[in-house]
Amino acid sequence: MTNEESFGRKRAFRLPEPATLVWIALTAVLLLLVAFPLAKLLLVSLHTRSGVFTFGNYLTAYGRARYVESLWNSLVLASETAAISVVFAVPMAWATSRTNMPGKTLVWVLVLGSFILPPYLGAIGWILLAGPNAGFINQAWRWVTGATDPLVNVYTFNGLAFVMAFQSFPLIFIFAKSALDLVSSEMEDAANILGAGTWTAMRKVTLPLVWPSILGGAIIVFLEAVALFGTPAIIGIPARINTATTQLWQFFEYPVRVEVAAAYAMPLLLITLLMVAVQRLMLRRKGFVAQTGKGGERRPIQFGPGRFALLGYCLLVGLLSVVLPVLVLGEASFARAWGRGLAFSNLTVDNYTFLIFRHETALSSIWNTLWFSGASASLAVVLALLVAYVVSRKLVRFASGLAFLAMAPFVIPGIVMAIGFYAAFAAPPFALYGTAAIIILAFCARFLPIAYANASSAMGTVHPEMEEAARILGSGRLGTIARITAPLLKRSLLGGWLIVFIVATRELSAAIFLVGPNTRTMAVLLYDLSEAGNFEVLSALGFILLAMTLVLVGFGIKLVGRDFMLRRA
Amino acid sequence: MNRVISPRLTKRSFLAGSAALGLGAGAARAEDMPAHERELYEAAKKEGELTWYSGQLQAEPGEAVGHAFSQAYPGIKVNVVRSTSQVAYQRLSQDMQAGVAQCDFFSSTDYGHYLFLKREGKLLPYRPHTMDDLIPEVRNADPDNMFQVLNIGLYLIATNTRKVQAADAPKSWKDLTDPKWLGQEAVGHPGYSGAVGVMAVTLQKLYGWDFFTKLEKNKPQVGRSADDPVTLLNAGERTVGMGVSLATTLLSMSRGNPLSIVYPTDGTLAVYCPSAIPKNAPHPNAAKLFMEFTAGQAYAKVVRNFFIMPLRTDVPPPDGALPFDKIKLISATPKEIEDGIPEVKEKWRDTFGV
Repeated sequence: MTNEESFGRKRAFRLPEPATLVWIALTAVLLLLVAFPLAKLLLVSLHTRSGVFTFGNYLTAYGRARYVESLWNSLVLASETAAISVVFAVPMAWATSRTNMPGKTLVWVLVLGSFILPPYLGAIGWILLAGPNAGFINQAWRWVTGATDPLVNVYTFNGLAFVMAFQSFPLIFIFAKSALDLVSSEMEDAANILGAGTWTAMRKVTLPLVWPSILGGAIIVFLEAVALFGTPAIIGIPARINTATTQLWQFFEYPVRVEVAAAYAMPLLLITLLMVAVQRLMLRRKGFVAQTGKGGERRPIQFGPGRFALLGYCLLVGLLSVVLPVLVLGEASFARAWGRGLAFSNLTVDNYTFLIFRHETALSSIWNTLWFSGASASLAVVLALLVAYVVSRKLVRFASGLAFLAMAPFVIPGIVMAIGFYAAFAAPPFALYGTAAIIILAFCARFLPIAYANASSAMGTVHPEMEEAARILGSGRLGTIARITAPLLKRSLLGGWLIVFIVATRELSAAIFLVGPNTRTMAVLLYDLSEAGNFEVLSALGFILLAMTLVLVGFGIKLVGRDFMLRRA
Repeated sequence: MNRVISPRLTKRSFLAGSAALGLGAGAARAEDMPAHERELYEAAKKEGELTWYSGQLQAEPGEAVGHAFSQAYPGIKVNVVRSTSQVAYQRLSQDMQAGVAQCDFFSSTDYGHYLFLKREGKLLPYRPHTMDDLIPEVRNADPDNMFQVLNIGLYLIATNTRKVQAADAPKSWKDLTDPKWLGQEAVGHPGYSGAVGVMAVTLQKLYGWDFFTKLEKNKPQVGRSADDPVTLLNAGERTVGMGVSLATTLLSMSRGNPLSIVYPTDGTLAVYCPSAIPKNAPHPNAAKLFMEFTAGQAYAKVVRNFFIMPLRTDVPPPDGALPFDKIKLISATPKEIEDGIPEVKEKWRDTFGV
């Protein structure tokens, strides 16, 4: 009787499943975090300061050759960075995944090292290495050859692209290696039987199979390079190269022209749309590829002495991308005076003790960094899991729209995002300016794509069958997620959390406009120090940040497994 | 009253002796304070803190000043928000647009900020009682006392002593256009540094923009802040730094870096740096007390340790620096600076390409 009653009531009121309410809330949160700041930015770009509708901001933003050239520079620079990254990453990924190359663990450590080195620290390291006059590499070159011209010059377009590639090739490595790990040797064997050598088999069979992954990684590197602020500011300005991000910064100068900056940023969002479309096309092609998670034998290809040549290449990339920059920064951090070079009397730990015991904000900036990053990583992972669930199980019709929202922040330059957040949340009714909340929300939105990519590929590994079984046995949608899906994904979610945490600890561009009196982070402090003509203390703080990151990575490896950062979940 | 004075401070003020009469470093005993100061202190203690948006001092001296203030006036905390002047101003204008009152004391290197804020009626007038103990140049910055000049940044030329002999070093700004310095100079950027902007305006006034066109032929390395060249000189990447700040250069020299300073014969650039209290300051009494402190001897002694020129005639210049009366100063008027900076930024980008 009661059953009938409740049945009748349900029909009468059409009560939604509780989960549906969660999806509605999720949509609202995503709209608030991603769409609202962007919409606000769009509105700002279409209005004068006094609120009159206008296209004038776009004319101002693109009305000068110099401004257009900056955007063009960014696109060329990002393409070059992506191309160099492919050249670095793909042979390394292939050698690590498919061959009997020795020292794979060492290569793995080097790639991980370049991944966790904050870009602006790497850039400063490279200034010390490849400055045309005093860079170590050039000093050595002159000493050996007696030449007067420098061997390498970091202050050039190519120099900038190389430094950016050193920082971003690990992304392509991750994509390419995880795809290569899934290609079974049988395909190569088939090619071999039909008369192809190792080289031909790799070129004609293996690489085409993983091509979508490589291209996917390259697109991410491209988009990241377009959005990067720190390295172009540190190296690009002395090299006299304007990029879209340094140009944006100029629009924020006194008198601040937020509306022009907003207009200037809009084409960057169009590029995002384009890239998402390209990726979509590629994913469709991927359907033809014979990649399966299971079955198929995977044997390393046997190389003779050639395997040492492969190792040599990997070590060279690792040396340039992480070992040398870290060494020079380390030297600077222990130097009394950088200009006196290596000498026993010039050694000191004072830069560290100064930061830890006498600097008034270094410790609080470290604490802020830790808890902002922790909070934003937790928020991002929860959001990402829910969105990935909705998308992969196609629960609602506009699921792909949710995916787009979750991915969109990836290509919004940090400063644009910060201004969008500022415009959206600083003023009442939110009144979040100067609070920890605005930074945490901005970090969460900014790194949502990482968490989402992680969660979504993890979701792909869980077949709906298991959930369907649980649901058939009477579990609700949310209960299923909590008891079936989340436990199955625990490890990859934790991996995602750590990645977001680590990138948040070094985030500069979104933080710099949102920090208030009590919310300064280490990255902002590092940026302040980078203009203060005191590299010794800057390097020491950089090293503290690196040490913290290493500890976290150590935790991650212990908890989630060795490959947690270098694997596509 | 004694309860609020920490033992360490009591000892220090004991050592300093009664001659300091509470004006020196260490905690001033409330009963030793002049009436106006005591009144302010009592009111400020109720507010408990102040927030200082500072683009003038680097992080380190900024924090040392905040610390010294809290020592002198126990119970009042200083939140130092350090950034470049442009960012500090940006934050303040964002605050104002958002209707948020956070900043109690605003210090930047850009006079234009203050003229604008004054015109908009956003400032609270105040004049410290000890203003007349400072050098004459700063005593009457604003007739309405909407802001005060409590800091002067000196900008000059520095060389790397390993690469440039003292006899060969440039003697003046004009010398920097000599082709013999091709590929050896470094300079900041007016788009990133207010001080470099003032330098560009002042040198344009002196020699016309042609000076910069000639300078560009020497291919100087353009950085961001006025202090960027110091790093490049230390590393030996460049040998002559243009428009570097005296304070940063002296600090770097004291650490043992191979640098030397040149007071240009055609004038050392003086950048008058105002400070002001926003009208909507959430802790106005603490802010006024802080302004008194900034005009006082204790402040001068703290900043001196960071190689910043004290404006008080009764505190000697930092080690290695000349006193104000031995330096030929050049500068531009506030009006010239306000009008000139946007203009030179554009010209700079046309001439130097960034």
